Amino acid sequence: MSYIEIRGLCKKFGDNVILDHVDLDIEKGEVVAIIGPSGTGKSTLLRCLNLLETPEGGTIKVDGREYDLTTKDGKVKRNLRRESSMVFQQFNLIKHKNSLQNVEEGLRVVKRLGKDEARKKALAELENVGMADRLYHFPKHLSGGQQQRVAIARALAMEPNLLLMDEPTSALDPELVGEVLLTIRKAAKAGNTTLLVTHEMNFVKSVANKIIFLENGKVVACGTPKEIFGYPSNERLKEFLAKIHMLEGAEYNI
Amino acid sequence: MKLFDIKLVFSQIPTILSALPITIELTIIATLIGYLLGLVLALVKIHKTPVLRQIAVAYISIIRGTPILVQLYITYYGIPLMLKHHNLTYGTNYNINAIPAIVFAIIALGLNQSAFDAEVIRASIQSVDKGQVEAAKTLGMSGGQILRRVILPQAVVVALPSLGNSLISLIKGTSLAFTVAVVDLTAEGRILAGRNFRYFEVYCSLAIIYWVITVVLENMFKILENKFSIPDQPPVIAPEKVSGGVVK
Ligand SMILES: Nc1ncnc2c1ncn2[C@@H]1O[C@H](COP(=O)(O)OP(=O)(O)OP(=O)(O)O)[C@@H](O)[C@H]1O
Ligand SMILES: [Mg+2]
Repeated sequence: MSYIEIRGLCKKFGDNVILDHVDLDIEKGEVVAIIGPSGTGKSTLLRCLNLLETPEGGTIKVDGREYDLTTKDGKVKRNLRRESSMVFQQFNLIKHKNSLQNVEEGLRVVKRLGKDEARKKALAELENVGMADRLYHFPKHLSGGQQQRVAIARALAMEPNLLLMDEPTSALDPELVGEVLLTIRKAAKAGNTTLLVTHEMNFVKSVANKIIFLENGKVVACGTPKEIFGYPSNERLKEFLAKIHMLEGAEYNI
Repeated sequence: MKLFDIKLVFSQIPTILSALPITIELTIIATLIGYLLGLVLALVKIHKTPVLRQIAVAYISIIRGTPILVQLYITYYGIPLMLKHHNLTYGTNYNINAIPAIVFAIIALGLNQSAFDAEVIRASIQSVDKGQVEAAKTLGMSGGQILRRVILPQAVVVALPSLGNSLISLIKGTSLAFTVAVVDLTAEGRILAGRNFRYFEVYCSLAIIYWVITVVLENMFKILENKFSIPDQPPVIAPEKVSGGVVK
């Protein structure tokens, strides 16, 4: 039995099947990366796991606790959402709260920590992502990279059992990508079970334990970075890697 | 007798101001009704609740499409009729004459405000970016918590200028309350003029009073706006605290 087990996840938008009975296992502390062409359902997969989208079918088991992903029960939904934290492409910090308040929000309101305890935890998390010098800055006073680091601190402060990240560096200027990738690497090394969607293939190669290749709503290939980039067996995967110049076989190199 | 007694314009202001508490009471209660009912109407429209939504749309359309004076008379004559009907059907014994006139004015003005505020509140709620709401959901916050802690504080900043305008037009709307026998500022002035026949001077005094009240309110709203909006400048970073940005 795996730490996280996703079974039979199905999602349609209208008549378009976006996710077609996706199964996925993640072990505790593992970093799993999802790669695949644009529009293939990577974001949708992540958003179904915290019910930002409502799937037509599927279950998720977290550390033995099973949830029906189609549930309409508000309380079950909130409990499921508390199992995971999400880092968004557009950061999505609360605009009228400063860095410290953004991190404290979930601790106070959802985890119901006391004032001092929440403050201590938030300070520690912000220190960890290198934002201790901008505690009282509002999001609009921070660069994209800084906002994303605050967002990562906010996500980690909730001590999630699963950390979801959807292209966390895609909205950033190139010179800011590095600082955020470093922060993510640190979180991964600290043992956070992570499901990550990204186009940063070199980063995936060095950080992920497992890579999922998603295409047309199906898991087409799954393996270690070595298996995926070194010896891709699947034709579709080979094509995709060739397109993004990540195939290592000589015949495909330009 | 002087054609225009400018001294009287100012000297009778204190007398007229004896009715100021009534105008203020009318304004504050009607405003609160307007904001609260407006918020409810806005939420109904946003969430597209079936049936309720249609009712809200019709209500807003009717109120916005009829003059406030007509609405005042409809409440003034309509509510007693409804109570009489209730007395006859259920054998109750409500004393219609015991209802103070101000109640009718408060209800009419409050309902009128709610229709206008509903649109302002709806637009400002919808202006809050959806990403933040999604982030709050993923934290595990409930719908009510998200509304109170994420959406409303930002919607208020957007809505304040328009809500200020609607409050200002309400203040002026209260001057119609005399038509349903409320002795507000305007009514007090008319009573005064009825005694000294100085109608022109009285209306000049009233103009000054309403104008001053409006200016005061405008400034209060400006202060509120500043208080609620995010400062333009970031706080200063203490030099010894700068960690170089990147995680070590
Ligand atoms: N709210 C929506 N309504 C209708 N269709 C949608 C909606 N959101 C996504 N889709 C469709 O679902 C498909 C999958 O979208 P998704 O955002 O999951 O792709 P993705 O793999 O994350 O792509 P990218 O790499 O470009 O981010 C797309 O074809 C998209 O058009
Ligand atoms: Mg996406």
